[in-house]
Amino acid sequence: MAYKHIGKDFTPHDVVAKVTGQAKYAEDFRAEGMVFCRLLLSPMPHGRVRNIDASEALKMEGVLGILTADDVPAIPAPNAPILTKEPMFVGEPILAVAAVDETTAQDAIEKIKVDIEPLPFTIDPLQSLFPGGPNARSDGNVGNVGIELQTLKWTAADFARAGEGKLPMGKAVEEWSYGDLDAAFAKAKIVYDETFVTASNSHHSMEPRSCMAYWQNGKCFVHASLQSHTYTIPQIAQYLGIDPQDVVLIAEYCGGGFGSKGSAYPSMAIPALMSKKLGRPVMMRISRAEEYFIGSARNGFQGRIRIGFGADGKVLGVDLFIVQDNAANNGFWDFRGAGEAVSLVYTPTAMRFRAVPVYTNLPSRTAQRGPGQNQMACIVEPLLDRAARELGIDRVEIRLRNAPVTGSPVGGERRPVTSAYVREALEKGAARFNWREKLRENGKRDGSKVIGVAVGQAYHPAGFFGFDGLVRITPDGKLHIHTGVGNLGTFSHSATARIAAEVLKVDWENCIVERGDSRRHLPWNIGQFGSNTSYTMSRTNYVAAMDALTKLKEIAARELGGSPDDYDVDGSRVFQKSNPSRGLGYGEAAQRAIDLGGRYSGHELPQDIHPITRASASALAGTGLIGVAKDTLPGGATAAFAVAFAKVEVDLETGQHRILEFLTVGDCGRVIHPMGLATQLKGGSVQGFGLACLEHIVYDPQNGLPANVGLYQAKPPTYLDVPAEMQWDAVDKPDPTSPLGTKGIGEPPMGAAAAALLCAISQALGGHVFNRTPVLPDMIINVAAGRSQSHKPLQVHTQ
Amino acid sequence: MNESDRGGAAALTAAAGEEAARYSRREFIKRVIASGAVASAAVYVYGGLQGCGRGPSVAGGVERLISLNVNGEVRRVDVLPQETLAMTLRYKLGLTGTKLGCDRAECGACTVLIDDVAHYSCSTLTHSVRGRKVVTIEGLAGPNGELHPVQQAFVDELAPQCGFCTPGQVMAAVALLRQNPRPTREEARIALSGNLCRCGAYDNYLNAVMRAAAQPSET
Amino acid sequence: MSRDMMPHFELYQPDSLENALDLAKRLGRDGWIIAGGYDSLDWFKDRVKRPKALIDLGGIESLKGIRETPEGLEIGALTTLTEIERSPIVREKYGLLADAARRVASPQIRNAATLGGNLCQDARCWYYRYGVNCYRAGGNTCYADTPQGQNREHCLFGASRCVAVSPSDMGTAAVALDARMVVRNSSGERVIPAEEFFIGPAVDITRMTVLEPGDILTAVRFPAEWAGAKFYFEKVSDREAWDFALVSIASAMILENGVIRNVRMACGAVECVPRRLKVVEQTVTGSEPNEELAQLAGKTAVQGATPLNFNHFKIPLMENLVRRAIRAAA
Repeated sequence: MAYKHIGKDFTPHDVVAKVTGQAKYAEDFRAEGMVFCRLLLSPMPHGRVRNIDASEALKMEGVLGILTADDVPAIPAPNAPILTKEPMFVGEPILAVAAVDETTAQDAIEKIKVDIEPLPFTIDPLQSLFPGGPNARSDGNVGNVGIELQTLKWTAADFARAGEGKLPMGKAVEEWSYGDLDAAFAKAKIVYDETFVTASNSHHSMEPRSCMAYWQNGKCFVHASLQSHTYTIPQIAQYLGIDPQDVVLIAEYCGGGFGSKGSAYPSMAIPALMSKKLGRPVMMRISRAEEYFIGSARNGFQGRIRIGFGADGKVLGVDLFIVQDNAANNGFWDFRGAGEAVSLVYTPTAMRFRAVPVYTNLPSRTAQRGPGQNQMACIVEPLLDRAARELGIDRVEIRLRNAPVTGSPVGGERRPVTSAYVREALEKGAARFNWREKLRENGKRDGSKVIGVAVGQAYHPAGFFGFDGLVRITPDGKLHIHTGVGNLGTFSHSATARIAAEVLKVDWENCIVERGDSRRHLPWNIGQFGSNTSYTMSRTNYVAAMDALTKLKEIAARELGGSPDDYDVDGSRVFQKSNPSRGLGYGEAAQRAIDLGGRYSGHELPQDIHPITRASASALAGTGLIGVAKDTLPGGATAAFAVAFAKVEVDLETGQHRILEFLTVGDCGRVIHPMGLATQLKGGSVQGFGLACLEHIVYDPQNGLPANVGLYQAKPPTYLDVPAEMQWDAVDKPDPTSPLGTKGIGEPPMGAAAAALLCAISQALGGHVFNRTPVLPDMIINVAAGRSQSHKPLQVHTQ
Repeated sequence: MNESDRGGAAALTAAAGEEAARYSRREFIKRVIASGAVASAAVYVYGGLQGCGRGPSVAGGVERLISLNVNGEVRRVDVLPQETLAMTLRYKLGLTGTKLGCDRAECGACTVLIDDVAHYSCSTLTHSVRGRKVVTIEGLAGPNGELHPVQQAFVDELAPQCGFCTPGQVMAAVALLRQNPRPTREEARIALSGNLCRCGAYDNYLNAVMRAAAQPSET
Repeated sequence: MSRDMMPHFELYQPDSLENALDLAKRLGRDGWIIAGGYDSLDWFKDRVKRPKALIDLGGIESLKGIRETPEGLEIGALTTLTEIERSPIVREKYGLLADAARRVASPQIRNAATLGGNLCQDARCWYYRYGVNCYRAGGNTCYADTPQGQNREHCLFGASRCVAVSPSDMGTAAVALDARMVVRNSSGERVIPAEEFFIGPAVDITRMTVLEPGDILTAVRFPAEWAGAKFYFEKVSDREAWDFALVSIASAMILENGVIRNVRMACGAVECVPRRLKVVEQTVTGSEPNEELAQLAGKTAVQGATPLNFNHFKIPLMENLVRRAIRAAA
């Protein structure tokens, strides 16, 4: 089938604004009478605020007001509070001060005396699980979303049993299993029992989460940095204690989020609440250091995996135990993603998964690109290579033998995935990378430099269902696609809007994407996270467009006779199939819809749509032909995959590496926007290189102090740390449950690239497996020089 | 306006007997402010409260009211001693295309040209650019608003993702091409290495720089 | 914890060295001299260092430029690292300086940061930069040198209460080139060998160099003796841009008939000062630079290294870099 838009490149409407500096991010807005607020942050990792004396500060000329935990809505623990009386990490906001200018606000902060009683703290989950160990929170040490907040201590025997350097495995609070694990291990030719650590790393979004807010006629206008839009509005309303209809969110551009701005976050409530108190617009600029405190990071793992391989390389059994470092509050459930990823990517015949998420006195976590899945790619992929080496199997081949296919089950519930084309991705990649040829270079040494050639793979769910679509055809003939999804920079807000244009056969010049501002009347969509947009919002835009298509045909039949089935559309016209000259232009049809009223004009709406969609559609009623629907199409457990191939040169004397060649291949269903896909595949890979070999949070355990509060300390990759050129490709096979075959891709390329790089380094080191991320130059130097590592196997947050 | 830039400031540092001159200059400043010739919104962020008289602890120092040449226009601006160019541009001249990603010379989002050379405006004191030509992302477009070849190449290659680092990337690329109109990819990579992109759009940015460099133009 | 907004200070922008020296004298400890500003502004934004007044040397033309002299090369302290990196004379005769300059921070920083500023920069120990009250900050403890301290980037040599390292790439090169620092104050000029210019914590824990309030580094002289020598510079860091060295090496070598006649070597980021490798120099002088000598030089260089908990990798790394410097001459 020839498509008008699908699979074709286009220039998204927001790209010119980005290259000219006209794109306005939260900190670029000004409002009449705007003042500034600054935060007072906790200097200690855990404490109880006994007293705040702001009298001197409030006497200062230009200081306008203060906001403390007593002045803001309480957020139910263990979710992160807006302001706190029990700071649980260094840098947690205790209060905010507003002043006419920022310097004055900061000067005022210095004059405030906060009396904090220090409480016990920990930055190591295992320390907290040890009998008598400190709890990061006064109300418990274990919990997560869906797991009750509780105090859990393992026994001394649990620790003793594990032995030196092995993860103890006491009571778990989440567990699932399938198959006969004992039988699987008994049958295995090789069984590895590995203890591992994956580091927490910050999101490092280039735009810190600055926010400006003001109130007008009872509504709160919020200019925020969010990768999602309508999905966050009920959350913002909750933070502010107001009705969602009274939130006007302007978030047209978002300077990076990677999961950390997928949902509303507590700090964004501060300027709005301060503004309410002062009656003036309030800007809260967030600095880079503050972004490291309140901007969140990936959950780290201390884990243990027992994995058994058959003689043919098939993964027979996996026993996975994960201790997740939650940080101070409920952030995200990476451990679940970890278990699911292992169950799907390696299709073990039997598996047990156990986990304990533990609170620590570290900055709050949220999902980061491939939460859980990408940590596991870094750990399991090198083990796969180790098995391949021992069993004498090619490393692509061992992956092919374990690869999931459409219908392969995922997780403890064993839900079949809607599509999986990992084999195709591996085969396509191996051919294009010239895998067999390149393997001859693997291990070649020139002086101190050794070549490593490797492949890596990763997975993430690829979309949800059940959200709403809203399109509108106006009397000028234009198709407006209203989308509440957000703008993370993937251009998928427009790529998925083109699904509606495809269904209604409208040229792209006649389409307007309405987004980024509540006043543009946006439908209820899930956020732009979890690699979901290309699936979820293709569906919502499809159902809304189909609704509009039905209405167009009905209007045409009503006007021109016959039944709606006698009509077709193209070129912004609805016309008789038998006599294409008889028809209506979309503009005329839109006018007829307005005249007809009822469901055509949006005055009557479906019962099953979300209140936010209902409000938006109602506001648009009478302005054109309204297509609006909830996505009730059949769906399922979606899965996106990426594989990556890398040729890397490792210098054994300096521990440095260079990626000489790199290819990533995505399984994202049918490709809707090739250039957009390329940016996701390559950009995700760049983050993967950082995950593998650079980024980690470092804390001083004695004082709970962060070592990296600047980009130069936290080290996201630069131009010079990634390949000078990167190649990409895609399987381009449709997902059967997606109306036009599309599914997401954002997250797996990161894990695949990280795994490929780690595996290549491992190859260059003769098969050495680190069981740890990131792998830094010092670790490589130590291996090459035959020295022990500085860190202990289970030590976390070390340099 | 004949603000004598550096020389004037230096003269002030040398001479203790210039109190009278300084006084009369203050009067002059007040008049200019009253007449609205000074960039508005000067109250944002820095010392709007204290007006021009905020207590220097040591006598002397730079004059606050200065002329800045930004995007080919000379603007009178009231600038505090500790003010950075990024803040002046963003909060006093309304040029918000220059982004603050770190404020610490660690990311490059604030990159502008000063006398055709790429600089981090977050770590440049505004007083140090008097008498020098500053060009920001807003100053690149042609007389009829047409995109600069570098900007057009960035569009054609779909180089930006979130877009926040993009103005800085564009400025670094423009600085490179002014100094080296036909760079190799490796030279471009090094020239842009002071600009972080967390989205990881490096490959696309480099493709765009090479595309712009291949165009016949007088950038 | 109060960060990110620079407090008020007075700013002076003298246009002559004399004016700057007068100001420096007058302001004494209240004054702070800045050049490119890349080290200083961070301190102010963190509100950790709070001078009352800044003396910005940026307008003093006499402090800029690269001049050949009968004695060698003189580079004004306010010359930017980009100018050094691109200077034909530097590249032709003192390539080591260009190589070192090229590896400093990022292009934009090199466009503004100066030779003098790079040489005079403060320690980058993260505890110290965080603003804790450590020895170097005038307190009475070292946070990095504890059983759990995160000290991967810290020193192997010369610990004396403080375990920070020299962060200056140009300093390492300057020591290898036997540079002379020209320092002025209101009472005159003195010329100090690079090795004596940098001081460790045992001498004064609060300073990185001999400079005292009132002093201004005006120029650096590079003796003709080393012009056109065989140079080697390498800096190992986590990232190829921005990052400070994990370890760096700078060497200048003069060979005669395939034998090392004269050599100077220095390592960065292993001690609080650029560490001159005198024993290595003595050991290799008079020998042919081959692999055997490289091995010996490497082993010699790390004699006496005292690692902390997280930095013992610096021993093989330093050893390897010294070897590479010798090998490069072969």
